[in-house]
Amino acid sequence: MVSTSKEAKGILDPGVLKGALRASFKKLDPRALWSNPVMLCVEVGSVITTVNFAYGLASGKGEPAWFTGLVSFWLWLTVLFATFAEALAEGRGKARAEDLRKTRTEVMAKKLKKPELGAPYDLVSGQQLRKGDVILVEANDMIPGDGEVIVGAALVDESAVTGESAPVVREAGGDRSAVTGGTRVIANRFVMRITANPGETFLDRMIALVEGAKRRKTPNEIALEVLLIALTVVFLLVVLNLSPVSIYSAKARGQGQPVTLTVIIALFVCLIPTTIAALLSAIGIAGMDRLFQRNVIAMSGRAIEAAGDVNVLLLDKTGTITLGNRQAVAFIPVAGHTDAQVAEAAFWLPSPTRPRKVAALWCWLRKNINCACGSCRPTPPPFPSGPRPASAGWISMSAPIVKARRRPSSALWKAGAGPFPRNLIPRLPRLPKPGAPPWW
Amino acid sequence: MSNNGMLFDLLQILACLSLLTLLVKPLGRYMTRVYQGDRTLLSPIFVPVENLLYRAAGIDPQVEMGWKQYALAMLIFNGLGGLVLLAILLLQGWLPVNPEKFAGFSWDLALNTAVSFMTNTNWQFYSGESAASYFTQTLGLTVQQFLSAASGMAILIALIRGFARHTAETLGNFWVDLTRGTLYILLPLSLIAAVFLASQGVIQNFSPYAKTTLIQEVQDTKGNVVKEQTIPMGPVASLEAIKELGTNGGGFFNANSSHPFENPTPVTNFVEILLILLIPAGLTYTFGHMVGSTRQGWAIYVAMMILFVCALGAMYWAESHGNPLVQKSGVQGIYLEGKEVRFGLGGSVLFSCATTGTSCGAVNNMHDSLTPLGGLVPLWLILLGEIVFGGVGSGLYTMLAFVVIAVFVAGLMIGRTPEYLGKKIEIREMWMSVIIVLTAGIVILWFSGVSLLIPAGVSAMSNPGPHGLSEVLYAFASTANNNGSALAGLNGNMFYNLMTAAAMLLGRFFPKVAVLAMAGSLVRKKYIPPSLGTLPTDQAPFVLWLVLVIWIIGALTFFPALAMGPMVEHLIMQGGL
Repeated sequence: MVSTSKEAKGILDPGVLKGALRASFKKLDPRALWSNPVMLCVEVGSVITTVNFAYGLASGKGEPAWFTGLVSFWLWLTVLFATFAEALAEGRGKARAEDLRKTRTEVMAKKLKKPELGAPYDLVSGQQLRKGDVILVEANDMIPGDGEVIVGAALVDESAVTGESAPVVREAGGDRSAVTGGTRVIANRFVMRITANPGETFLDRMIALVEGAKRRKTPNEIALEVLLIALTVVFLLVVLNLSPVSIYSAKARGQGQPVTLTVIIALFVCLIPTTIAALLSAIGIAGMDRLFQRNVIAMSGRAIEAAGDVNVLLLDKTGTITLGNRQAVAFIPVAGHTDAQVAEAAFWLPSPTRPRKVAALWCWLRKNINCACGSCRPTPPPFPSGPRPASAGWISMSAPIVKARRRPSSALWKAGAGPFPRNLIPRLPRLPKPGAPPWW
Repeated sequence: MSNNGMLFDLLQILACLSLLTLLVKPLGRYMTRVYQGDRTLLSPIFVPVENLLYRAAGIDPQVEMGWKQYALAMLIFNGLGGLVLLAILLLQGWLPVNPEKFAGFSWDLALNTAVSFMTNTNWQFYSGESAASYFTQTLGLTVQQFLSAASGMAILIALIRGFARHTAETLGNFWVDLTRGTLYILLPLSLIAAVFLASQGVIQNFSPYAKTTLIQEVQDTKGNVVKEQTIPMGPVASLEAIKELGTNGGGFFNANSSHPFENPTPVTNFVEILLILLIPAGLTYTFGHMVGSTRQGWAIYVAMMILFVCALGAMYWAESHGNPLVQKSGVQGIYLEGKEVRFGLGGSVLFSCATTGTSCGAVNNMHDSLTPLGGLVPLWLILLGEIVFGGVGSGLYTMLAFVVIAVFVAGLMIGRTPEYLGKKIEIREMWMSVIIVLTAGIVILWFSGVSLLIPAGVSAMSNPGPHGLSEVLYAFASTANNNGSALAGLNGNMFYNLMTAAAMLLGRFFPKVAVLAMAGSLVRKKYIPPSLGTLPTDQAPFVLWLVLVIWIIGALTFFPALAMGPMVEHLIMQGGL
């Protein structure tokens, strides 16, 4: 379904940068900065020093204009840096969503004039479909939108959405008539009625998710913000206290000048936790973006926090928008077994009922192992006698992730074939590193 | 200074701190039993008294309170106590046991004093021997010294229960905690201490002031010939014991613990220092014991000890170096200006650190006479929030708020969910901790700034310049943190009476209610068993981290103010200006 470019858009992509720069100025609006009180304080400070600067330029009195000007410049730069970082992080997510959307519009639909199988049709873009349109979907067509089958029946590969690798039958009438956009018809054909306008479909919601503009704050983030706001208030008082102290000191000693407003604002900005405040939202968005580069869609900041505690991720089936055809890409022999033994054992894996998996296995074995075990012949060899080798232990993928992190051996090893091979443990974290499935 | 003197000081400090450490466990264990309602050694005597009190007040000791009820009970109790004291102070002239015929306090001074003793601050804008009758001293001030201390401990115990219990609603019964704390802990300990102090020469009588004829006649400032000296008397030992034990600090005499009738010998000095630190230190063990891991209590104790020893070292160094101008003029020996010869440098420095690290505020030397940097240390200890052992109860609950902040920040830095003692640290806990930790700082900065802008504030300063700044800063630090010691130098006019009273009230009750609110939120939480992802809070790295967090928060908040006060003063002194 989704065939985006393999590399995500780089952080220095000129388009992304330009958009972020524009957005960073837009985000200077106090209403937008309201959610980040620390930066709002800096902005207020910048406005005051700028007014001071303008006044100094116009009247020539007060502090030297170059000084107030320079301070204002740095203060504005601080605010802009914060908004820019946030805009940049958001921009990357948006660019990614753009890619998704582009591929979607390329789907062509066969819009029928009458809801019958043999009726004439026009080829229209998937984007132009509206609720109530009737379309024809034939073998190897992609279903262009959410809807229900009204005539006929077909075998639909829904792995892209449900993760189920076996195709399912969708037919008119009954409770098996609903189809989802983005899935593909494998055999036969049917007529369907669109039930969702563009922008409301399952896929659209997913794209909206990727854009990540509506990022909710995580509980930890809110708690951290409490600390930052409190510190900001304290520092506000610190500098406010400094002013009478310096006025008093200058008066008491009869020499020196009290600290000026510009200096106090500059000191205030130096003291308050601007860096964390500036980067907090950017860090959150960047975290979501990094997950996205690995083809994981983080639905909330909370998910990222949880993800921070995960070392190894094991999935029992493919995810929501990935294709469900699993392939064996590598076998790892443990406990002194050879590749050939693994291959043979793998052949005898339990539940060899699913044709696809066996096919995948065969495919890999033929390609990679020049083995003499005989299992690579079209007909399976006789079942090996003696105890089943340890390497054939079936690694159950259904254990919860968190449990796996804490006690890897017990969660993973369900073979009943002796102790868990120790030398596998250090390799476990590296296994899922390559990340994306091969077709992504 | 001589090496012998230094060795003696070092031995004294070591002896004091080791003895304190030895006493932590037995006392802490005893206090746990008291607050858990277990039988103790003193139960045969006090259980009937306790039951009688409950029956008389119509309290069912079995009924527990939620945090709001607990807070309300605390506020009502302290408020009523303050009102009674206020009445006593105002009506002093008509009340009995007043051999010197002292008149009542002016309303603003009475208000200041009532607030001061009700909040465990014991800031004194009056001189005990020339303004307060025996009735006031005993039934007014000494009573509040017991009750304000017991109330602080009760709040801490409620917070500990918040950590120790889970998926519960109630934090205990305020009246029971108050009564048990007073009867089983404060009363017996101060009785022992008072008897010991009296045996060493601290006076305890209700006689009129004694008069003696001077051997040599002197002239007063107006040129009149003075032949007689008046020597104030009074029930000092009973007040002295609870003054130290309850980290109150309000002395019987103006000279406080430097007066020979309050603190006659180096031995009483040593015992008084120990009394100041005893309960706050013991409470760390009580905390560990009640939450089910004494290591947690010891970790906090060690963090406090590190802070204490660092402060002590800095102050000793500054004081032993003294004023270069004096040395230049050829004067040898220890810098003893403002100190008592009988306590020496070690006894004075140790006392100063103990009294400002806790919320005691008793003094055995004149803090105003310390060198600028030497005076910076007590001020610093107060500004940190008096957590170095801290006030009875108040020190540890403030420390626990720092712990919550430290756990939270550390948790975020290493990517762990912030948990402490199996309780998740969430937004509410952060708000409350921040209020507990920063209220005093905010009050100090705000009030001292205002005082420097208002003519009434500036005119009351008798030492203009950086030292005057230090004095104003110290006054608000001391009152907002409920310490009560002073750099003096501020004339107690109505402006300062009211400003410091407000500082004391805000600095005491804001954090206290926040503590209870935090306890109320913690007690409802589920217990999360420690896992690989839990930050261990009973090991050295966390202890050091905690110390660092405390220093950083303190430095960030107060560095500018300290730079303009004591540090400028130090530079001026060094420069000989």
